Amino acid sequence: MTVAIGEPVRRVEARDKVTGGARYTEDVRAADTAYAALVGSAISAGRVRSIDARQAERAPGVLTVITHTNRPDFAAQPPTPYTAEGRMPLADDRIHYAGQYIAVVVAETQEQADHAATLVQADYQRTSPVPTLDAALPAAYIPRQNGLVRFPSEYRRGHAETALAASPVRLEQEYRTATLSHAPMEPSSTLAYWEGDRLTIYDSSQAVHTHRALVATAFGLPEDRVRMISSFVGGGFGNKSFAWPHVFIAPMAARVVRRPVRVTISRKQVFTGTGHMAATVQAVRLGADREGRLRALIHDSTNQTSFIDDRQEGAAGTTPYMYAIPDVYARMRVAKVSTGTGGAMRTPGDSAGAFALESALDELAYKIGMDPVELRRRNHADTDPVSGRPWSGKRLLACYEQAAERFGWDRRKAEPGSMRDGDDLVGYGMAGGQRMEHQSRARATVHLSDEGTAVIRSSTVEIGGGGLTTLSQVAAEGLGLPVGAVTFEHGDTDLPASSPTFGSLTSGSAGSAVRLAAQDALRAAIELAVGDRRSPLHGADPDDVVAHESGLRLRDRPDRAESYRELLRRNRVNSLRGDGDFQPAGETAGYAMATFGAHFTEVRINRHLPRVRVVRHVAAFSIGRVLNARTARNQAQGGIIMRLGAALMESQRPDPVSGRFISPALTDYHVPVNADIGEVDVLFVGEPDTNANPLGARGLGEISAVGICASVANAVYHATGRRVRSLPITPDKLL
Amino acid sequence: MDESTHEGPPSRRAFLSHSLTAGAGLAALGSAGPGVAEARAVVADPPETLPISLTVNGRRRTLRVDPRTSLLDTLRKDLGLTGPKKGCGQGACGACTVLVDGGRILSCLTFAVMFAGTEVTTVEGLADGDRLHPVQQAFIDHDGFQCGFCTSGQVVSAVGLLGENPRPSREEIRELMSGNICRCAAYPNIVDAVESAAKGR
Repeated sequence: MTVAIGEPVRRVEARDKVTGGARYTEDVRAADTAYAALVGSAISAGRVRSIDARQAERAPGVLTVITHTNRPDFAAQPPTPYTAEGRMPLADDRIHYAGQYIAVVVAETQEQADHAATLVQADYQRTSPVPTLDAALPAAYIPRQNGLVRFPSEYRRGHAETALAASPVRLEQEYRTATLSHAPMEPSSTLAYWEGDRLTIYDSSQAVHTHRALVATAFGLPEDRVRMISSFVGGGFGNKSFAWPHVFIAPMAARVVRRPVRVTISRKQVFTGTGHMAATVQAVRLGADREGRLRALIHDSTNQTSFIDDRQEGAAGTTPYMYAIPDVYARMRVAKVSTGTGGAMRTPGDSAGAFALESALDELAYKIGMDPVELRRRNHADTDPVSGRPWSGKRLLACYEQAAERFGWDRRKAEPGSMRDGDDLVGYGMAGGQRMEHQSRARATVHLSDEGTAVIRSSTVEIGGGGLTTLSQVAAEGLGLPVGAVTFEHGDTDLPASSPTFGSLTSGSAGSAVRLAAQDALRAAIELAVGDRRSPLHGADPDDVVAHESGLRLRDRPDRAESYRELLRRNRVNSLRGDGDFQPAGETAGYAMATFGAHFTEVRINRHLPRVRVVRHVAAFSIGRVLNARTARNQAQGGIIMRLGAALMESQRPDPVSGRFISPALTDYHVPVNADIGEVDVLFVGEPDTNANPLGARGLGEISAVGICASVANAVYHATGRRVRSLPITPDKLL
Repeated sequence: MDESTHEGPPSRRAFLSHSLTAGAGLAALGSAGPGVAEARAVVADPPETLPISLTVNGRRRTLRVDPRTSLLDTLRKDLGLTGPKKGCGQGACGACTVLVDGGRILSCLTFAVMFAGTEVTTVEGLADGDRLHPVQQAFIDHDGFQCGFCTSGQVVSAVGLLGENPRPSREEIRELMSGNICRCAAYPNIVDAVESAAKGR
C-alpha cells in the first residue's frame, strides 16, 4: 500500500511558483483587450448630482465612460451572500461609502484609462455620514435573517441573567476588535469577453462555480453560457470568496465596447472595494463558582455594517458550543456605518469572538487565582453543549497538554509582572480556539490512464492552502500511485464542481470527493481485472483486491498482481474514470463537528518603550487527519502570524468625520513583515476522524487563526499587569 | 484633499509629463510635491512613446514605451515576463522586485525609460535551463510560500540579498527580507530557505 496522505510532499505547483511560471488572473492575455479604470466616490454619504465625463471621453485612447446614467441594465440582482453587495454597481446616484465606484473608464491601455479616470469630474450632494461604530452603536439592532445573515443572531439556554446573579464570582467587561483588511498580495483582477451570448471570465475567485452562478443571474444567462476560470489565486483569506462589484463591471464593460475588458483594481480599491472584517464591540459577562466552574455566560457583540447590507460578524456564534456552561445567552447585532460592506475574513466571527471570550476567561482565572489552563480543563465540553451530540474527534485537552509542555508553561510564575529579563518584562499567555466545521457538496473525477498515471478534474482553486498537493496525495494513496503520477485540472467551471475554496472546506469536502472518485476508479480497475481471464487476478473476490505500486494485487497474495498499465493496455482501455460526489451529512450526522486549537505565547516588552514583541508562540490543533505535514505546518504558521498582526498592529481606522478608511495602503495598514516574527511552533494532535467524512480530515485554514489575539493579550497582562481589551495592542495602550 | 475633488490615481504621471515638457529630466521624481499643482495645466496631452534598449535576462531588447509606464508594466505587458507582480504599485510590498545590474529594486516605482543600457534580471532569468537557482530550489525544499504571488519578488530579493551579504545571520535575513511582504506569512520558511541557500553556496 502506498502511503501518500500525511507525507510532507513538496507542493505539486512549486516549480511554477519559484520560476514565475504560475499563471494568475492578471497574467492571462487576450487579443484586443481594453482596460478599465474604476473611479471611486470622494464622499462617503450622499448623492452624485452630476458627472462630467467629457474631458475623460476626449482623452487619448478612451473608448467609453460608463456611469449610472448610461450603463446597461443588469438582468437581475444575484443573491447574497456570495454577491458581496446587495446593490449592483452603478445602480443609481446614491453614495453609501467612500470609494464606491461611480464611473468606469475604458481605454486602449491601462495608462490611458488611469489618466482619463483623473479627468472625470463628479459633483456631489453630501449628506451626513455615520463615521464610526461608536457613532452608530445607539442604533444597533438584530439583523433580519436573510442571505447575508445565515447563522442565528441570538442563542439562549437556561436563564443566564438569573444564573449570573446567583454566581459567587462575576466578571463583566467590554472588548473591542478593529476593522481588519485581508490585504492579499494579489489585487483582484477580472478579464471578461463575450462570444455572442457566451461569456468567459478569468477572475481571481476562490469559488468559480459559486461565482459563475451569480454572474449568469446578473446577465440573464443560463449557467452553461458562462465559463469562469481561476487558475491560481494570489491570496484569499476570504477576500475573494464573494463577487465584489468589479466582477460584474468587467463583463458589462466588455459588452459595451464589444471587446475583452480587463479590470484590475488598485491596491487602494483592495481596501475599499473588496470587504474587510468589521470592527466589533463585545460585552462579556461571566459567572462562576470559586472552584472555577462556569455557571453563566452572556456574550453580546455588535459589529459595524454598511448602509447597503446587514452583514453579521458572528463573534458570539461559536460561544454556545465552547464550554460546558448551563446557562448561556449570546447575541449579535449590527450597526450601520458609512463604510463598505464587510466580508468574510479568516476567521469570520471566531477570531473576534475568541479575543473577547478567551480574554475574559483569563481575567477570571486571575480573579480566582487559578491556572488559566486548569480553568479551561474544568469547563471542557465533553459533548456539544448545544446539540448534546458527541464530538467527532475532539482532542482539545491533548492540545492544551502537548502545547503547554512544548512551550514550557510550567516555568510560568503566576504573579503578573514577576518575570523579567534585563529591561524586558516577560509574559506568558494562553488561549483556546474553536471553529465549527462546515461541509459542502463537492464533486471530482479521477481518470486512471493506461500509462499508470491519473488526472484529477475538479474546480477547486489553489489559493495557497496546498489543495492541489493534498488532493493529489489523496488520489495517489487511493490508487496506489506515486504522487508524481497524478496531475490536476483545476479552477475552471468546465470541470466537475468542487466545494468553494473558503470556509476550511477543501480538506474535508473537496478531499472526500477526490477520495470517492479515486475509490470509484479503483473499483472499475478491479472489475476489469477480475473479469479478465488473462489477468493474474481473474476470478478473485473484488473485496480481496487492493491498490499497490501503480497496480493491483491480492491483499494476501503479493505474487498475484499486475500493473494498471498492463491491465488497461491488454484490454485496450485508454482510461478508467471514477466519479466522486461528496454529499454532506449535515444535521443527520449524529456527531457535532468542529476544529480546535490551543495557543501559548511569550511576549517581551521593554519597560522603557512598551512595544510588544512575540518572541515565541506554540500552538496545537485538533483537525483530524493531517493531509500533508509540510503544507499544514506552513498554513498554520501563516494563520497564527496573520493574527499576530491583528493583535499588535493591524487596524483599518475610519476618519472620525467622513468614515472613510484612513489607511487604505500597505504603507499605512501595517501587516507583519519578516522582522516582526519570532519563533512559531505548530503541533497537530489529531488522528483520522472518519465520523466527520470519508477522508478523516477537517479544515485547518480558519482554526489556525482563532485564539491568537487573546493569547497575546493574556501574555501582555502577565508581563505588565495591564489588561488591554481593545485591539491592536499598540505601545500607546501600555504607556 | 478636499472631498469635493475627484479621486483617482496619483498625479505623478501628470508631473512627469510636465517635467518632460520642461526638460527637467526624469531624475526629479523624488520631488513631486511642488510640481503637482502646476501639472494640471499641461496634463491634457500625454506624451508619446520613447525608444529604449536594455538587456533583460541576458537578451537585448529594443522597444518603444509610453514614458508613464513603469519598468514593471513594461516587463509584464510589453515583454511578457509575468513573474514579477504588481501587489501595490506603491513600492510597499516587494512583489515586483527585480535585479538591475545585480542590485534589487522595486520595478513598480520606477519608469522603464530610466533603464536604457542596463541589465535587468527577473525571476524568469534565474534558472540555468532546467537547473533551478539554489535559492529557487531552497524555496521549494523549505516550502517558502503558499499562494506564490509574492514569491517571484521574494526569490529575486533573496538572490540580491546574498549578493550583498553572502553569509547573513537569521536575524539579518529577517531584516533584509522585510521589504517583501508575504500575507500568507510563510516567513519562518522563507528564512529557512534563504539560510539554507546561503550555506549551500
